[in-house]
Amino acid sequence: MALKPVTTPDAEAATIELTLDGKTVTAKEGVSLYDVIASTGKIVPAMCYHYTFDPFGSCGMCLVMQEGKKAPVRSCTAKATAGMVIRTEGEDLFLARKKAVEKHLSVHPLDCPVCDADGHCELQDTAFQHGVTNLANAKQKNIPEDTRSLVLDFNMNRCIACGECINICKDVQRIDALQFIKKGGFTQVVAKGDQPLVCEFCGDCLAVCPVGAITNKFSKYAYKPWQLRKTTTTCNYCGDGCQMYLETKDTDVIRVTSPLSWKNKWGDRADTVNGHGGLCVRGRFGFQFIDSPARLTQPLVRTDTGLIEAPWIDAMDLAAGRLAYVKAQYGAQAIAGLITARCTNEDLYVFQRFMRAVIGTNHLDSSARYGHMNFVRAMHRALGIGRMMNTSAEITKANAILLVGSNITETNPVASLRVKAAIGTYKAQVIVVDEAPTNIAKLASHPLLVKPGTEGLFVQGMVKSIVEQDLIDEEAVHAHPQAFAALQKAVEKISFTDISTQTGIPVDQIHEVARIFAEAPRSVILCGEGLTRQPGGYHHMLTLFDLAWVTGKLRQPGCGINAYIEEANEQGAVDMGVAPEFLPGLLRFDDPAAREKWSRVWGADLPPSGQGAHLMDILERCRSGEIKALYLVGENPLATLPASANVEAALRNLEVLICQDPFLTDTGRMAHVVFPAATFAEKDGTMTNQEGKVQFVRPALDPPGESALDWHIMAGLADALGSPMPYETTQDIQNEIRRELPTYYNLGRPKKVEARPDAYLASQYCEEVDQRYTPVTLPSENRPFRLRLIQLLYHSGKLSTRASGLMAISPNTKRLHLHREDLERLGIHQGGRVRLITDQGSVDLEVEEDLSVMPGSCTFPEHFTEPPLKDLVSVQLDPITGVPYFKLTGVTLEPIAST
Amino acid sequence: MAHLEDQRSTVYHVDPSHPETDTLPTLRTEELLLNMGPQHPSTHGVLKVILELEGERIVKSTPVMGFLHRGVEKLAEHGTYHQFIPHTDRLDYVCAMYNNFAYCRAVEKLMGITVPDRAEYLRTIVAEVQRIIGHLFWLGTQALDIGAMTVFFYTFRDREILLDWFDELCGARLTTSWYRIGGVERDFTPELEQKIRKFLDYFPPKIDEYVVFLERNRIWLARTKGVAVISAEDALSFGLSGPTLRGSGVDYDLRKYESYGAYPRCEFSVPVGKNGDTYDRYWIRIEEMRESIKIIRQCMDQMEPGPIMADVPSVTLPPKERVFTNLESMIQQFKLFSQGFDAPVGEIYCGTEAHKGELGFYIVSTGGGRPYRLKIRAPSFIHMGAFDHMARGYMIADAITIFGTYDIVMGECDR
Amino acid sequence: MPTTSSPAKKLFDTVLFREIWEAMKVTFRHMFHRPMTFEYPREKRTIPDTHRGALALLRYDDGQERCVGCDLCEAACPSHCIKVISEEDKTRPLQRYAKEFYIDITKCVFCGYCVEACPVNALAMTKLYEYSTPDKRTLLFDKARLYEIGERYLEDGKRYLYAHNQEKEGEESRAYRYQFPVPVQKTPNA
Repeated sequence: MALKPVTTPDAEAATIELTLDGKTVTAKEGVSLYDVIASTGKIVPAMCYHYTFDPFGSCGMCLVMQEGKKAPVRSCTAKATAGMVIRTEGEDLFLARKKAVEKHLSVHPLDCPVCDADGHCELQDTAFQHGVTNLANAKQKNIPEDTRSLVLDFNMNRCIACGECINICKDVQRIDALQFIKKGGFTQVVAKGDQPLVCEFCGDCLAVCPVGAITNKFSKYAYKPWQLRKTTTTCNYCGDGCQMYLETKDTDVIRVTSPLSWKNKWGDRADTVNGHGGLCVRGRFGFQFIDSPARLTQPLVRTDTGLIEAPWIDAMDLAAGRLAYVKAQYGAQAIAGLITARCTNEDLYVFQRFMRAVIGTNHLDSSARYGHMNFVRAMHRALGIGRMMNTSAEITKANAILLVGSNITETNPVASLRVKAAIGTYKAQVIVVDEAPTNIAKLASHPLLVKPGTEGLFVQGMVKSIVEQDLIDEEAVHAHPQAFAALQKAVEKISFTDISTQTGIPVDQIHEVARIFAEAPRSVILCGEGLTRQPGGYHHMLTLFDLAWVTGKLRQPGCGINAYIEEANEQGAVDMGVAPEFLPGLLRFDDPAAREKWSRVWGADLPPSGQGAHLMDILERCRSGEIKALYLVGENPLATLPASANVEAALRNLEVLICQDPFLTDTGRMAHVVFPAATFAEKDGTMTNQEGKVQFVRPALDPPGESALDWHIMAGLADALGSPMPYETTQDIQNEIRRELPTYYNLGRPKKVEARPDAYLASQYCEEVDQRYTPVTLPSENRPFRLRLIQLLYHSGKLSTRASGLMAISPNTKRLHLHREDLERLGIHQGGRVRLITDQGSVDLEVEEDLSVMPGSCTFPEHFTEPPLKDLVSVQLDPITGVPYFKLTGVTLEPIAST
Repeated sequence: MAHLEDQRSTVYHVDPSHPETDTLPTLRTEELLLNMGPQHPSTHGVLKVILELEGERIVKSTPVMGFLHRGVEKLAEHGTYHQFIPHTDRLDYVCAMYNNFAYCRAVEKLMGITVPDRAEYLRTIVAEVQRIIGHLFWLGTQALDIGAMTVFFYTFRDREILLDWFDELCGARLTTSWYRIGGVERDFTPELEQKIRKFLDYFPPKIDEYVVFLERNRIWLARTKGVAVISAEDALSFGLSGPTLRGSGVDYDLRKYESYGAYPRCEFSVPVGKNGDTYDRYWIRIEEMRESIKIIRQCMDQMEPGPIMADVPSVTLPPKERVFTNLESMIQQFKLFSQGFDAPVGEIYCGTEAHKGELGFYIVSTGGGRPYRLKIRAPSFIHMGAFDHMARGYMIADAITIFGTYDIVMGECDR
Repeated sequence: MPTTSSPAKKLFDTVLFREIWEAMKVTFRHMFHRPMTFEYPREKRTIPDTHRGALALLRYDDGQERCVGCDLCEAACPSHCIKVISEEDKTRPLQRYAKEFYIDITKCVFCGYCVEACPVNALAMTKLYEYSTPDKRTLLFDKARLYEIGERYLEDGKRYLYAHNQEKEGEESRAYRYQFPVPVQKTPNA
């Protein structure tokens, strides 16, 4: 309900009774009268109301008659009280509402023909319903259109001052980028301070605007709603898995809209704990890559003169022939495959079946290896589960949230709203541990700035503090006294002073947050790339396990450990077994029962267990000549990995390199065969988001030119290799998955995972914990600056750089971001040039002042390969999971005198 | 359809050596099966009839329909109520105005709209003009089918005058789309009124001329008297309507007995036949043309200036000049054209007396701007149902007369 | 019903084929009538102003395109033969216009709804009906063709609009219509 009655999710509001149009209805106390009316299914028009925020009461439409009052009352701002007698219908109310519409219409410009909202306009609908005719005294505002922002245009002539944009920005997004201003005799919406709007550009204001006052630059004037075909699908950018509507006209994507809209304004505010239906800037404005002219439309094959277009039959024949040759000549172990986790579950499933059953190799991996695999492996080992433990509702209603190493508002913006709601609505204590002052840290109760790369150490400190302060959960610990003893012994080895000096956090603060975390009835751990993609990521995950275990957060409801995911379907890639260590269904590859099962399903012998190379291993074996053929589906290791990983040498060594991608990538340029693949907008299938929701991806377009769906190409290769896979439609693949992994297709309602730590605690825990807590001293490098390759809100991987909208919002500035102090120290100004030197080499580039960078570190977006900063970074491999770590490195900066 | 399938298996699948021959109906050796149509000049479009003949006599006939099926009823579900009007032009393409009229009446009944007086008069006048056109067309083609060519030229000459008048009224001669939900698109201009008045004086002597050709012509009489007889009882059972029903002596005319438009304000009589044969129906149609002239004349005299569209902003289109200057009218214009009006939930049937018979529209609405289902009761289709009954025992040549006597148009029959 | 006459007269009439002679009399009289037909294409019929012929796009008298690409014609069209692709006019910021405009005249049913729907009276029907061609592809009228028809048959188009009460004579000017929004001037430091 819209008026927030409770700030703690534990309190239950009292129930009251009131009379509505002669019927008695019950409602929760303290909610808005409008909500009570709406909950009975009656729709009273209201233009400024939206269930996601507090009633505003500016439109004057939601009038109802209350017994005992002479004039109609606004039901949205009136609180429902017991014994009210309300009438919502009647000629008098109709006329009063009509008058309210007339008021809005009389200053509205006559521009339906050129307005983008025409046909999707609440003012139009309400005016039409109320049959307003012959307005007297209509006048024009003649306000110039504000086109200064990069994304949104504000035409305040059309504004009805409902304030929905301002309210959603303030109450839901908690960004508060918009405000009312009185200018020229009219109330207008402007960006804060009447400046050009610069915000996170989530576009929720655009979605809720009931008229055409806010329009989007990327689809401006390009459509009318009745021309568009709307396809409900799942966003392809991050692991949040937001539902969105892809609106297309013929072969063009015109715009993306969200379930959040003014059309969808009736709901229960309590439901927003499951998400508010909005999107972020990437989902809403990053759609241009789909119908980009750079898309491949024809297979390419390498000839003496380079890559040339070839018919499918030739390209397929070439690829299959070479694969067959390599297999015959060197054996199946000479073939490996990598797939991107932006593919659907069905693609991923077919890929691993193709590699294992058709080719007969276990050298396969997905982009989950870049970090998420640490979390999955750790959780699978310790708890027997493979994904995050909490739902978004649980996160919203948590009392304490420990957010470690995740710039969540940038990497997973929609998931971050749950943390924001926890802070804003439910007053949760939020402990943010990060190496930069992130946006979420600004809202948090306990923002802790640690030194780069010491997040894991901080968590160890928390465990030590909890053990030593005796904040442990007796029940959890007593079940495994040996394990606890081992932990106690392990934490003794590290000292608070070391931790404090290395992380830069005072000991008191460590104790304080440890206490908060341990004592809160519902504490949730959220982590991100700051832990999973930093050296020791796998161990950090297990440290989080220690933390949750000793505080009892593994067994208490509403608590758990969670990791946010960067690419859309990393979870699905792991679930579908696209990793050498797992078979589909998160079964271990060397588990005899599982091997037996899948070999029966596929009618083929599986490659022997104990083999199987992961991403970095594959590249290493390519380099050594052990692997002769590489099949890449949407992966582009050349652009992703630093030069020190020596990918180019590895790829050059190959006899066959097959690339399958919607675009011609850097790696694709080196390939022998390039297959044009479809993007998510053309696919039919499912994706699994980080919460485990399996959601549909539906085709909005036909693949352009001769490009084909990923699994079609794999099935074609399998045919050409003489062992066809029995799939005619996506449905066939889904049927097989459904048969073999019942309940995997959960229709967006994943079953709650159950943490089972006992087996692990009883067995190898004792010896492993001892290794984890070793006093580490960070190598005192001679490089004074720490270069962090960061993710930007406006980008996701390399894919988003193909979306012209996102590139317009956030172009590659080719600048290194530094704190002002450092700039002063180096004696350069904004725009000045520095030479960045690492062990691998050096590059010259301009600098930019950035307050969100800590002194002593510098940042550059990982999405851009130009200038080639990432090639200067060293790569470290996780000894257990093989995850490559290259996000952080020590650098020296030398100012270059401007000539 | 099941019946049809039986027929087909009888026709095509009899193979004496086939073991199951015994179980099939016996095929009488002296019987001849004749496929008449679908490309036959006198089947009035693409109608096919499978005739079982004994000599030249029809033993059984099976109409095969659907050659002109365009899914009009389905199309209705995919457009607004307003957008369906041009589709109705193409039902009985000879008499588009009456189809428009029948459809608009049905939607108005659904929406509960009262049409202004002048619009009612205009609608009635144009509907009666359309009736005359329809009957002229029928008379010409029926006579031509039977072998009298001259009448065809004369009726088409007079029909041409009226079609040109339509062109001047609404811009098209056949596919008129002049009726609108809640009124009509365009008012008569003084010239149009003058022209129709001139026609009223011109036309009655012409009817007498046609009669001279046919009424006592012995060939015409031989080909029409006692041909395609149907009793009043049978006609009612088959659901016939219009002149086909009245020819059998049933006095049933919706204009009179379920009156609509300006008909209640006009005096006219409903000609009723006696014998139920083709000649009686011919006579009824001739008389109806005379009555139509009377109705038009009365309407022209009674009609007073006034609005031609109902003013129901949620359903009817605003006048164009208001759209340019007035926001509500512009909203109205955009909402009505892009989304249509919101019809109440319910279903209605509305029958209108077209010149062929009762043309009914059955609309099921589940709310929103589009019909959930729209069913057209097309007289031609219903009349074809009685074909076998009426054709048995007649000669092949009479089959042509029998199609003609219904005034069948396949556009409406197959829809 | 025809009146019955005496058997003798009936016999007389039958023997002499009287009804045929009477009919011949009518036919003979018609020999002195002016023919109703005319010899197309040498002669052409006069077409009324209301006639719904080929569609045309019109300009204002100052040469500006009337169409703003609002796409209502596409929504109104019962046969879905119109396709409008609109965008922002690059030469005039914040002005919407139809970048492309297609009418598939093979699909068009000439109902005139698009003209009725058009909020700027950019569309009109002309008296043009002779555009038969051996190449069906040329029957997909594009924007250039429609404007060309509009220029050539401007008078027809205007008369059509007057006749169908879409516009009053002398009210075609742009001042009579609504105003487009104007952009805020970008400040140099913004």
